[in-house]
Amino acid sequence: MPIALLRLGSVFGGIGMGLFGFYIGLAVTAILRTWFGYPDAWERDVNVAVGYCFGVFGWLMGVGMWSRWGREWFGLKTYPSPTKGWWRYFTFNTDHKVIGIQYMVTFLAVFILAGSLAMLIRLELAFDGLQFFSKSQYNSIMSLHGILMVAVAVATVIGGFGNYVVPLMIGAEDMAFPRLNALTFWLVPPTALMLLVIPFVGGLETGWTAYPPLSVVTTTGQTFFNLAIITFGLTSILGALNFIVTIIYLRAPGLSWGRLPVFVWSIFVTSWLALLYTQGFAVALLMVTLDRIGGMSFFDAANGGDPLLYQHVFWFYSHPAVYIMILPGFGIALEVIAHFSRKPFFAYRYAVGAFLGILGLSGIVWAHHMFTSGMPNYLHGPFLMMTEAISIPTGLIFLCALGTIWMGRLWLTTPMLFGIAVIFNFACGGVTGIFLADVPTDIHLHDTYFVVAHFHYTIVGGEIFGLFAGIYYWFPKMTGRMYNERLAKLHFWWMFIGFNITFFVMHWPGIQGMNRRIADYPEAYQPVNLAISLSAFMLGASFLVFLFNMITSWSRGPAAEANPWRARTLEWQTSSPPPLENFHEPPRVLGNPYDYGLPRPPHSAAPQLGGLPAGSPAGGAGGGGGGG
Amino acid sequence: MARHVVSAALLWVFLTALGEASIFLDWFPSVGASEAEDFDRIFLVLLAMGFPVFAFVVAVLVYSMLEFKTKDPGETGATFVGRGLAPRVWIAITSALALLVMIYPGMTGLAELSKESGEGGWGEHDAELVVQVTGFRWAWKFDYPESGISLLGAQEELVLPAETVVRFDINSEDVVHSFWIPAFRMKIDAIPGRTTFFTVETKEPGSYDTSTVFRAQCAELCGLDHSGMVTRVRVVTQEEFRDWVDSQTTAAARGQ
Repeated sequence: MPIALLRLGSVFGGIGMGLFGFYIGLAVTAILRTWFGYPDAWERDVNVAVGYCFGVFGWLMGVGMWSRWGREWFGLKTYPSPTKGWWRYFTFNTDHKVIGIQYMVTFLAVFILAGSLAMLIRLELAFDGLQFFSKSQYNSIMSLHGILMVAVAVATVIGGFGNYVVPLMIGAEDMAFPRLNALTFWLVPPTALMLLVIPFVGGLETGWTAYPPLSVVTTTGQTFFNLAIITFGLTSILGALNFIVTIIYLRAPGLSWGRLPVFVWSIFVTSWLALLYTQGFAVALLMVTLDRIGGMSFFDAANGGDPLLYQHVFWFYSHPAVYIMILPGFGIALEVIAHFSRKPFFAYRYAVGAFLGILGLSGIVWAHHMFTSGMPNYLHGPFLMMTEAISIPTGLIFLCALGTIWMGRLWLTTPMLFGIAVIFNFACGGVTGIFLADVPTDIHLHDTYFVVAHFHYTIVGGEIFGLFAGIYYWFPKMTGRMYNERLAKLHFWWMFIGFNITFFVMHWPGIQGMNRRIADYPEAYQPVNLAISLSAFMLGASFLVFLFNMITSWSRGPAAEANPWRARTLEWQTSSPPPLENFHEPPRVLGNPYDYGLPRPPHSAAPQLGGLPAGSPAGGAGGGGGGG
Repeated sequence: MARHVVSAALLWVFLTALGEASIFLDWFPSVGASEAEDFDRIFLVLLAMGFPVFAFVVAVLVYSMLEFKTKDPGETGATFVGRGLAPRVWIAITSALALLVMIYPGMTGLAELSKESGEGGWGEHDAELVVQVTGFRWAWKFDYPESGISLLGAQEELVLPAETVVRFDINSEDVVHSFWIPAFRMKIDAIPGRTTFFTVETKEPGSYDTSTVFRAQCAELCGLDHSGMVTRVRVVTQEEFRDWVDSQTTAAARGQ
């Protein structure tokens, strides 16, 4: 296989070419510096930045850009992607199902890693004083936890389920740009590598927000961070472009906008957000990088720069980013709630309107993150009002969820429980959000543990719970096997209780005057922090149940039916897992996806199973047996 | 349907009442300034508004999970699709709520805070005492321009007179910090290249020894010793403050 893998484009070629490019970049910089008379040839930030640019190009060429675009363009022989075997996941594979699983597994690994960092944070904060880490180590752990979890929140649902499920749900064979899709995924490893080496190059002490001037004067770790995030931004933008084109042009005949599953709508709207705003983060970090290595002074007040400039540009992306995180969570929650309530989706068109309303408003609320930043006072009013206004479309999401559940026949499977938990958690996160949107209360609460509790309620409670709803919901479709329902329910209740204790209690020290991002705190906050830490460890342990269930079920769970949930949407009308071309014949859409119990046509024409032995009904509809 | 609506509504009322009862709990740390009283009041107003909203969601979810659950996926529920009045009424109610929170306590509270429109700071410029605050990694420096006193926050306490309008003019020498005194519930960033301020009216005497919220804490991540960027605050009676100023100035004079 190795020779074929090299020709195909795989991680082997990528690593080789990437390292080659990296060293070329280092050397070119060193030679130029010597030639132009710099005192030394080696200045870590500069050499590494140039080396990284060369290295990423080499990596992409080696991993598949050359074998896919280059060989074809120059008329050389090209090779198809392998369709079987574990190594297909390590090649430049253009099948959206392979890419979806690549994203999902990669980012679940990142999730576990960043979650372990959270455990380290709680370990240190369990007692006042410093027990386990130095302040420098604590700052690095906290910063990396932040940025890795932001990456998880941005990419797991969109990259994983967006890629795997959206083409199936719209009845397409693949994404609109399959090769671009593979490229998008293979930009992730350089990002991950750069973030993971940060502890060895001086650490990171600026959090994920990287406010200058600190981020300009801090250690080399910051340059690694900047380069990683700029690359990661490219992933988001290219992926978003692909989703938008796919959803506009590749919908099956009959799948009008009004019949589009709500999860697809959420990915569509999220993609617009990512496409429109991600540049903000990249530009903000590019300016920091140029200040660091290019001698510019965007943020240096002494030389005409302004530190507040960064905060505006940064939050111009990073506020919409929270909707990039939460909308797919809403999408999954509404999707599973609709299917498991066995009832038509309540006010479907209003849900879509709510998504679009959030898309419209999310770009003009960013400065509510800056109420205490010292920006001119006249800016506070408009941003306060816009921020409160966004609760109106968000409130509609609640109407749709509650209206769909009300008078339904609730089939309380694990995905449904996670879906309901999204609504519960986000209600709490939404109410606490009002305290932070109102300037008079935000002045005290800003940058305290109240904020930490609030955004964990919205992002973890909203999106990560949605992610797990999706994992359990689509597990049979993606793996062709059924998970163990009993372990899954154990995971749900364990995680739900652990999460709610941890983060509900966390509001308290915030109100009492404990600020965030600190390695140490006054003794008075010790008892409550110990309580938070203990319940955080309980929350962390719940993921061991999850991992055990996933690994055992994927390797030897009972075979899944094509449609174990008796859901109406298209992805369930093909085998589990679907064939390479998704449907044996192109599906036709006849009706709405959520018309349970209504005398209306089914969502799609006759089942597309194509007579495949798509798995025995061994596990039964609700799963159950097998597993561990 | 009517039975379900009434039952769920009763659950909602019960949960709301449970939540609202918590308003009588002791939510807040010590109060050191009249601005802190404003914060505490507005916080409770928002809390009182928030409980019914949260309780509504919880009531519908919990009631539905108990009452509408099934083990037979072949069953289907009611078939209404939400095209009628319900979404419009919902939008009207949520918009009214949003508008209410926007105006009171949002904009009304903001109007109290934004007296100096074009600048970055809370409250009025006019004050009986001005303290110049300078942040640097990782400590605060305090200057009292009227008396010429200068304090270094790592070793010394920030001493303030009780029942006095005090303005803090805040600067930074290096990176962005944030000047926060939790006892005053007031915070604003210290930014290189611009001066921010906030004005408070202090209340009774108090100190870090009695409550840890009497401290000036950096609240914007500023690097290695961010958590240690703390100065203890002591609010003393006006008489004690005058004595303190005298002792400081004579000490400074003797030092020269």
